[in-house]
Amino acid sequence: MSASSGSAGLLQVTDLTVRRERDVLLSRVSLAVAQGSLHAVIGPNGAGKSTLLTALLGLTPFEGRIVTRWQRDGRIGYVPQGFSVDRTLPVTVEDFLALTRQRRPVCLGVGRSARRHISALLDGVGLLGVEKRPLAVLSGGELRRVLLAHALDPLPELLILDEPATGLDEAAGRQLEDTLLALRRDTKTTVLMVSHDLEQVRRVADHVTVLDRTVVRDGAAREVLSDDLVRSGLLFGRREANRT
Amino acid sequence: MTAFYSWVAALAASGILPGDFQYPFLVRGFLSVLVLAPVLGGLSHLVVTRRMAFFSAALGQAALTGVAIGLLVGEPINAPYGGMFGFCLVSTLAMVYVKRHATLPSDTLIGVFHALTLGLGLCLLVALTRQFNVHQVESVLFGSLLTVTDGDLALLVAVGVVVGALLLRQYNALVLDSLNPPLASVTGADSAYLEYLFAFLLALSIVVSLKVIGALLVESLVVVPAAAARNLARSTRGYLVWSIGVAFLAGIGGLGVSTRLLVPTGGAVVLAASLLFFLTLLARLFMPRTAQDVPTPGRANA
Repeated sequence: MSASSGSAGLLQVTDLTVRRERDVLLSRVSLAVAQGSLHAVIGPNGAGKSTLLTALLGLTPFEGRIVTRWQRDGRIGYVPQGFSVDRTLPVTVEDFLALTRQRRPVCLGVGRSARRHISALLDGVGLLGVEKRPLAVLSGGELRRVLLAHALDPLPELLILDEPATGLDEAAGRQLEDTLLALRRDTKTTVLMVSHDLEQVRRVADHVTVLDRTVVRDGAAREVLSDDLVRSGLLFGRREANRT
Repeated sequence: MTAFYSWVAALAASGILPGDFQYPFLVRGFLSVLVLAPVLGGLSHLVVTRRMAFFSAALGQAALTGVAIGLLVGEPINAPYGGMFGFCLVSTLAMVYVKRHATLPSDTLIGVFHALTLGLGLCLLVALTRQFNVHQVESVLFGSLLTVTDGDLALLVAVGVVVGALLLRQYNALVLDSLNPPLASVTGADSAYLEYLFAFLLALSIVVSLKVIGALLVESLVVVPAAAARNLARSTRGYLVWSIGVAFLAGIGGLGVSTRLLVPTGGAVVLAASLLFFLTLLARLFMPRTAQDVPTPGRANA
């Protein structure tokens, strides 16, 4: 990912192609993520949404260009889609969040100031009081909120979320939306989110890209989500229909 | 060191220390355990967290082959460190490289290396029997305190300090990388560097522990303490403390048993560690569960 300064979009992706052996997972994807926006990427299963995120994070080799125009420190926060924890692993929520919060090895204990900071972070995602709980006993929704707290520490310039609503009940889903909207409003943090939940995308996103191995639709959320094909879900079924 | 051994022997003779400490080889053994416990116990909880137990077993076998190579190229029979470390290092780099670049599951790939090094080691050991009495390499296979020298002890201390310092420096990144490598990468950790570094430190620690524990059993001491600690620990700190504690108790217990019953030290230490594992398993059944330990319905990790 190359970086430069300027006032245009925070992230500019041009002709991004990802191949795995003989398969083309993404083909000539181009999109722009505006500074301070909440940009959602939607699409059917296997559309390459998570692959796009891993390419943006530099975790997957790609062809094409990714240009960033950082205005602050260029820190990226990331909430992965999958996070499995061995059920007997004695790593507590506090230990996990301290891994990036403090320089001191966590096996030597968590410092007082780190503990205070971690409590405030957990309070921010509605999980105060779970500090001493092992990660392995958390529900899927609780774990995703812990991952969100991890991604927000320290405050990122770009927050990348892969299916953040997975495992969340309705109340927790609404709380996540409030957190994202508050982030955009108060801190101008840019959010790039992959989601399956069109209703959630409608409530929070201001820009939507529909992906199906390449960009199918891209534009303002209201405009893209009012597209009959997207609304009826036909767009998502097209590739499957073509296969059969 | 002679003056130190004489002083300890005098304390043992006057009843301040146990009578066993009259013998310098037992003092060296005790000191070895004092150094090995934090090194192997500390590594142990990271080995299990990073799911590298099988990798450690393969490294133990590689060390055995390294002994044979060292002796064949003329290294002294009581310290073939060049062959051991050289072959372990080559095996470590090859295993990590292939694991990172191949698409096969890592346990399958390590199984291939395990078989390869064991086969090579057995062939070389048979070749060695034409030059040495095979009983002379038993100490490397099963561990023996009688063969631990002051030089071995000094090497153990030096390696222990280096391994401990490097592990503590990278500890947080290593744990995060074990939990979720992409997440660690996003926070700035270099996953490849961490994997090579940890494997290198593990190989180094295994090589210097062979005199005490033995090539065939050393992997047990980098797995069993952490397995036992998991039954008791409720935090990362507790995990480390219990791992070291179990390694230390197993070391002292094994040392005592091997001295009295004249059995190989490595076997006795591993038996003691295994006994402690089953005791912790029992203890876990009777440990009170706090509200913090109760899984939330819909737990993410079944």
